[in-house]
Amino acid sequence: MDSLKLLFEPYIFIPLVFPGLIAAFALLLIIIWLERKIAAKVQLRYGPLYVLKPLGGIIQTVADLLRYLFQEPILPKEVDKVAFLMTPVLLFGLSYLPLVAIPVSPTYYAFRSDVSLLIVLALTTLAPIFTVVMGWASNNKFSLIGGVREGYLVTSYEIPIFLSALSMAILYNSLDLVEIAEAQRGLWGVFLNPIAAINMLLLMYMSTSRFPFEIPEAESEIVAGPYTEYSGIIYGLVMGASYVKLYVLSLVYSILFLGGWNPLPSTDPLVAGAVLFSKAFLLVALGAFLRAVYPRFRIDQAISIGWKIAFPLSLISIIISLLLVMGGVSFVGK
Amino acid sequence: MSVSRAIRHAKAILTGFKYLLAGPRLTIMYPDEVQELPEGYRGMIEYDWDSCIKCSLCAMVCPADAMKMYVSREESEREGKVVKRPGINYTRCIFCGFCVDICPTDSLKFTKVHDVAYYTYEEQIYPPVEFRKGVPKPLYFREPRRVRAVLDERRGMRYEPADGS
Repeated sequence: MDSLKLLFEPYIFIPLVFPGLIAAFALLLIIIWLERKIAAKVQLRYGPLYVLKPLGGIIQTVADLLRYLFQEPILPKEVDKVAFLMTPVLLFGLSYLPLVAIPVSPTYYAFRSDVSLLIVLALTTLAPIFTVVMGWASNNKFSLIGGVREGYLVTSYEIPIFLSALSMAILYNSLDLVEIAEAQRGLWGVFLNPIAAINMLLLMYMSTSRFPFEIPEAESEIVAGPYTEYSGIIYGLVMGASYVKLYVLSLVYSILFLGGWNPLPSTDPLVAGAVLFSKAFLLVALGAFLRAVYPRFRIDQAISIGWKIAFPLSLISIIISLLLVMGGVSFVGK
Repeated sequence: MSVSRAIRHAKAILTGFKYLLAGPRLTIMYPDEVQELPEGYRGMIEYDWDSCIKCSLCAMVCPADAMKMYVSREESEREGKVVKRPGINYTRCIFCGFCVDICPTDSLKFTKVHDVAYYTYEEQIYPPVEFRKGVPKPLYFREPRRVRAVLDERRGMRYEPADGS
């Protein structure tokens, strides 16, 4: 009984259950199935179907996970063993780590800090390093090319995504995610600064290599990019890492632009968490849907989007925020 | 310029949404639904033993060397000379229909059977004695629904339940 009470303490519940590990894992299983299903529906086919047919094959991903678990993880002879085996674990861990700083409701958070937005953003930027290390450690030309492509892309999306997020911090005069979400009780951020919203949405999909920017792991060019040599559950980890990162960024995006847990039907943390999760889930599902719409951009196109479109837009969004603040729009909490 | 590009992106995403909400899929759930085949479908070939005049035209015209003349042992012993009859090798057959067209007595005919699986390579070679027994029946797990492809102005193709059969 005591231990159960301990589980519902925020500093345990948030990293472990919601929005932490278990929720991320459930979302991972659902979203991979959903991605295949949406792409199938757009292309007028059935996606996964025969595993649990009444529900449209929803446990296909569970079957895949079991297969990954019992597969032999092959370790190629010439790889750098430590880097090769540790990077997937660190990548998945670091993708999921920022969730500890994300509040679930105005009263329910693991820890509250003045700079929690910066903490989340800083932790999300650590993942690409390990993608590059993975490409280097695999001793495979495709992996190396994929890792270098990731490095290219990082330079073009990292700065604008920070500036877009920080423009909202300027607008709400706070770096605290709780305060930012509370400030949107009346009007969501997406209506105040639509440029920043569109820009950050684009860069979110770019940073997790969703489909228009699926450049690092381009299947038709470089077998699977940095993941080429991986197999078994290690591959499952690296594949899941980008989805988890997208989930984290979607939660941040929901708090910054979509009002977080607003409109809040009741002050219960469970309801607030459900509202927040549904918003993030819709954003992740939109990313899955884009797979069916877009072909892949070339590297130069993606980088020019990053530098010539997203970067000026992020500067414009900062200027919009400054003008709003100077124009007397004030959201200083409490 | 970039505004028009953004509009085009929005149009692409809207088109995707339109298809996401579009009607039925184009997939045929094959073992449960089987497409009605049109007249003159070139499926597996059946052989009429009695009307064949052993002219070997089918073996000559076959572009893939699938039809060959095999020595029919019983008839050769009975008649005291070498008698050859056609046999078919389905690993080589390309279903072009030349043998059926050229057969002067219409001993070779097309059936509408096209979905048969074999365990071994040798099973797919039919010497004359096997060839006369006709084509194997496809095994379905359940009795399939028959559907017919219908051209549709809006979607290109639809499948309707076939009447009859």
